[in-house]
Amino acid sequence: MSARAFRKVLVANRGEIAVRVVRACREMGIASVAVFSEADRAALHVRMADEALPIGPAPSRESYLRIDRVLDAARASGAEAIHPGYGFLAENAKFARACEEAGIAFIGPRSETIALMGEKTSARREAVAAGLAVVPGTLEPVADEREASREAERIGYPVMLKAAAGGGGKGLRLVATPSELRSALARARSEAGGAFGDDRVYLEKAIVRPRHVEIQVLGDHHGNAVHLFERECSIQRRHQKVIEESPSPRLTPELRSEMGALAVALVRRSGYVNAGTLEFLVGEDRRPYFLEMNTRLQVEHPVTEMVTGVDLVRLQIRIARGEPLPFRQEDLAQRGHAIECRVYAEDPDAGFLPSPGRIGALRVPGGPGVRDDSGVFDGGEVPIHYDPLVSKLVVWAESREEAIRRMRRAVGEYRVVGIRTTLPFFGRVLDHPAFVAGDYDTSFVDTVLASTDSRPGRVVEIAVAAAAIRALEERRGERVAPVAAGVGAWRAAGLREAHGGRVGSER
Amino acid sequence: MIFDATVGGSTVRVEVRGGGGRYTVVLDGSPVQVDVVTAGLPFASLLVGGESHEVGVERRPEGYVVHFPGDAVNVNLAEAARGTSPAVPRAHGPARLTAPMPGRVVRVLEAPGADVAAGQGLVVIEAMKMENELKSPRAGRVQEVAVREGQAVEAGALLAVVG
Repeated sequence: MSARAFRKVLVANRGEIAVRVVRACREMGIASVAVFSEADRAALHVRMADEALPIGPAPSRESYLRIDRVLDAARASGAEAIHPGYGFLAENAKFARACEEAGIAFIGPRSETIALMGEKTSARREAVAAGLAVVPGTLEPVADEREASREAERIGYPVMLKAAAGGGGKGLRLVATPSELRSALARARSEAGGAFGDDRVYLEKAIVRPRHVEIQVLGDHHGNAVHLFERECSIQRRHQKVIEESPSPRLTPELRSEMGALAVALVRRSGYVNAGTLEFLVGEDRRPYFLEMNTRLQVEHPVTEMVTGVDLVRLQIRIARGEPLPFRQEDLAQRGHAIECRVYAEDPDAGFLPSPGRIGALRVPGGPGVRDDSGVFDGGEVPIHYDPLVSKLVVWAESREEAIRRMRRAVGEYRVVGIRTTLPFFGRVLDHPAFVAGDYDTSFVDTVLASTDSRPGRVVEIAVAAAAIRALEERRGERVAPVAAGVGAWRAAGLREAHGGRVGSER
Repeated sequence: MIFDATVGGSTVRVEVRGGGGRYTVVLDGSPVQVDVVTAGLPFASLLVGGESHEVGVERRPEGYVVHFPGDAVNVNLAEAARGTSPAVPRAHGPARLTAPMPGRVVRVLEAPGADVAAGQGLVVIEAMKMENELKSPRAGRVQEVAVREGQAVEAGALLAVVG
């Protein structure tokens, strides 16, 4: 493939990942084009991009999942390439093919590779052929409840139901007993259909006390392939990752290089091009079982960027332009330790229920070794239509211990008012002895939630005092209560000042 | 003023007096002096006997959320009359299941008249691409289902009553 120049890249996504890609484009001197639904006119990615085009109503099926509208936007703007981010159309082979046919570079693997490796059952066959071990399962989507039940009995409970077409925890259900199968199957199908437009699911045996470890890979159009080590992703709730780190505190150097070599073998066998991730379950016996391949940039890619010094999005664009990888395997090393906390708009005190709404106030942490990949801003709206990921807080330090301390500090500085977020939950995780010791598996979040609330009484006292004082001020008219939905606190205060209203007497 | 403040299920009485940024807060009978400076709404800097606390205070229908470094505390406040004791949450009687967030009802799992256990799923609401099963707050009989499948609901909307 001959090298081609990109002057303009369309970003077929929203939220923090669209912002991430826009930033990479800007650093490379490439113009960026955002697309947006009716719910996202005011969103950060629209504000930051050089150009922005509407692609339809709020529901993602009518906007961000519309291949025709995204391609129309690319043609209208004259973009030579499309970065799909993650989610939405990122692992949709039809979309990649449509880009190829339209003469627009898809920043990702070839469409036939997505079809092969993105579909989990065929990916497992490829993996087995490349010498990887897989978790026992059906290898094919199940036709109906009767077949699911028969296969579950054959594999043995507990089993996992998984969406054939996607990842990210959508369409994923743990089934412990036969009586749960029927409703779990219905829920998994419905979620998978809504998220990916494909409701097929398959079965897999559930591994006990597993750790979720993944390997980042890169391949170019010239047959070069490398891995960029692992990310430890065992801290999950509802089978969605919430904290990732690299290196994994439990991987030996031997297991690390074994898994890396296996990953590169699969990349070579499948002719994989661009960035991808192989997910493994590592059981108590420290045997890596290949789970699936994500044929796209991963949410948690910054963790790898921090320890390797490689800008993955920039490299994705360079690979798509036809450039060879700028390094060989022996040039790569992990340095220090990185941790990522996913800040979700969810209430950790209410079982992680979604908490959409307007961000009334926002203070973002900074200082040494702190990176905040955010998709929101002060006064911005977190809509109910999309994934609740608000931001990814990432830290780097020389050692794991220092990285944990740094993350505690950064979480403490991070203030989001107006919606509930997972930030308070991270405070509890970072203090938990099992996390500090690096001794945890994918059931860790349930363990933390089950432990009794260790909130110090002093915090409750200060909270009650602060609330009572604010209530007194409001009742005396010293302070206008921000309207719950609609006008944010900042704006309310600004309006009051602009109109000469009374302000708090302590000012 | 006197309030009954409820945090995490337990209720305490709190009295607050003063003004102009200097307050006396009486909690469980012991008074503390609190110096308050607004640090750009909704944030405030509190000095409590030399301790420095920067908090964000956010109004909610039933009280406030107080944001700390790495924590956020829901404080429900009710004005209390002098001489009465804090209200005790009702332990029996019909329980209302309300929507904790806006979303769309994708399934109603139990019909009126059904006997349900505490924690049994009643309604599934989709929000932010996840299906969330909302569970019965108590054991009993479903007296009312206030929503139908496909319906959009706002936060706080009544979904079902279990008696």
